Amino acid sequence: MQEAVKVRAEITHRYGTLLVHDGLELAVRENEFLCICGPSGCGKTTLLDIFAGIIKPSAGQVLIDGEEVDPKRHNISFVFQEPSTLPWLDVRDNIGTGLRIKKIARAEIARKVDDIIGVVGLRGFERYYPHQISGGMKQRVSIARAFATDADLILMDEPFVSLDQPTREKMQREVLSIWEHRRRTIVFITHNLEEAVFLGDRVIMLSTKPARIVADMEIELPRPRNPVDPGFNALRARCAALLQEVHEGQADVLPQKV
Amino acid sequence: MNGVSAAQRFVPSAQLRPLALNVVSIVAFLAVWHFAAAIVNSPFFPSPYKIVQAFVTLATNGDTMGNSLWAHCWASLYRVLVGFAAGVVLGVPLGLLMGLVPGLYTATRSIVEPFRFIPPIAWIPLAIIFFSGLPRFAFLIFIGSFFPVFTATLVGVARVEQIHRKVAIAYGASRYWVLTHIVLPTVLPDIMGGMRVALGAAWLTIVAAELSGGTSVGLGRMMVNYAELLQIPEIVVGMVLIGALGFAMNEILLLFERRLFRWRWQVTL
Repeated sequence: MQEAVKVRAEITHRYGTLLVHDGLELAVRENEFLCICGPSGCGKTTLLDIFAGIIKPSAGQVLIDGEEVDPKRHNISFVFQEPSTLPWLDVRDNIGTGLRIKKIARAEIARKVDDIIGVVGLRGFERYYPHQISGGMKQRVSIARAFATDADLILMDEPFVSLDQPTREKMQREVLSIWEHRRRTIVFITHNLEEAVFLGDRVIMLSTKPARIVADMEIELPRPRNPVDPGFNALRARCAALLQEVHEGQADVLPQKV
Repeated sequence: MNGVSAAQRFVPSAQLRPLALNVVSIVAFLAVWHFAAAIVNSPFFPSPYKIVQAFVTLATNGDTMGNSLWAHCWASLYRVLVGFAAGVVLGVPLGLLMGLVPGLYTATRSIVEPFRFIPPIAWIPLAIIFFSGLPRFAFLIFIGSFFPVFTATLVGVARVEQIHRKVAIAYGASRYWVLTHIVLPTVLPDIMGGMRVALGAAWLTIVAAELSGGTSVGLGRMMVNYAELLQIPEIVVGMVLIGALGFAMNEILLLFERRLFRWRWQVTL
């Protein structure tokens, strides 16, 4: 079942003398929902910035559809971990930001924004400014902004970390439902193992710096997944054990790509 | 939270209350002035009524040289507007440039900063030698209004948040888009604040510049003429008009700020 590869990365990156990635090799399949887990400070965010073409790696490259990544050419969306709404724009215009950058026609933007606004549950808040809504709503604005553009690659950096548990679960289901409706490739970073197993087609576990892949697991549980299902629990336990090993520095680094 | 209704809807009572309070303040101020003048009872301390009389005479008959009061007002206002506009037109791009190009400001700091401390008035002697008429006044006001705008813009650029830049870059924005859609909206409140400071400096400068001669019209000129005649009410009319014109321009800028920056929670004062 060899599907098309969306992203192929081979990265070495340092900040000064700090080696963050050392020849990290990673491939993301087309329309795959890939979750990347790892201990905090292992360079997950940097990895995503490199995927997006925001940061250039010290060595190596990221290929999207076989071409070197360029945010101006590739249709990429990004959901950041920290609040990233633009305070001078209201909810509606914030969601349309990506579309305006891509110079989509006004009427088209209005239609797309209107579509997505219902999906993320922000109808009625179109004319509110970010300071007038809660942190969770701001994050939903960022997610809506990411899905409003017809990006074929969506990068999400711990997008739900600032949300409370019920909102987090609701957003997970919403992201899944958007993804199931309009197939996209999603790379989703989280340190929440349950979230990774719940969302991902595949979960990759990274080691501490320099980040290497210590596990690459296909999650073959049927969707919709149930977090209290025994199979689900077994996988989560396996991930937790792996993460524990990573912390203790015992995990064997996988020979690249099984 | 339901900030929209409070921030965006016009609430008459909330708007009228400060207005009413200000009317009361003005009446009280005039009353105190009136009684103080009555007690002192000297031609050197005219009552508000005398000021109004002088204003009516000036407004209907013009001054002793045959220049109308409006000609004086307009001359000063026009000079202020030209110099102020030049200050903004040059201050904003230069502030942006220095703020955005790393090293440019650091490299030229020892030239740029001392200029800021030379007051516009200190430029009057040079201006008298090199310019005459409108360019002289416009130049001096430009000096006075350039630095507040320039400095505010420079400081504002540092406020641009990295995450906002990253959003734009991730979605494929060009550098120009980042400048117009991320940097400018961030800096605009600072620019507007700088413009209001500049306006104060502009009025300060115009009067000093007109006092130094080289013109027959302008509110400053008019005041000097009446000072030579020891006619205090007419001088005070000039002062009141300068205050009123400056206040009106400041209110216009504030009105723009409130419209433009509804997204800000704190009210800028």
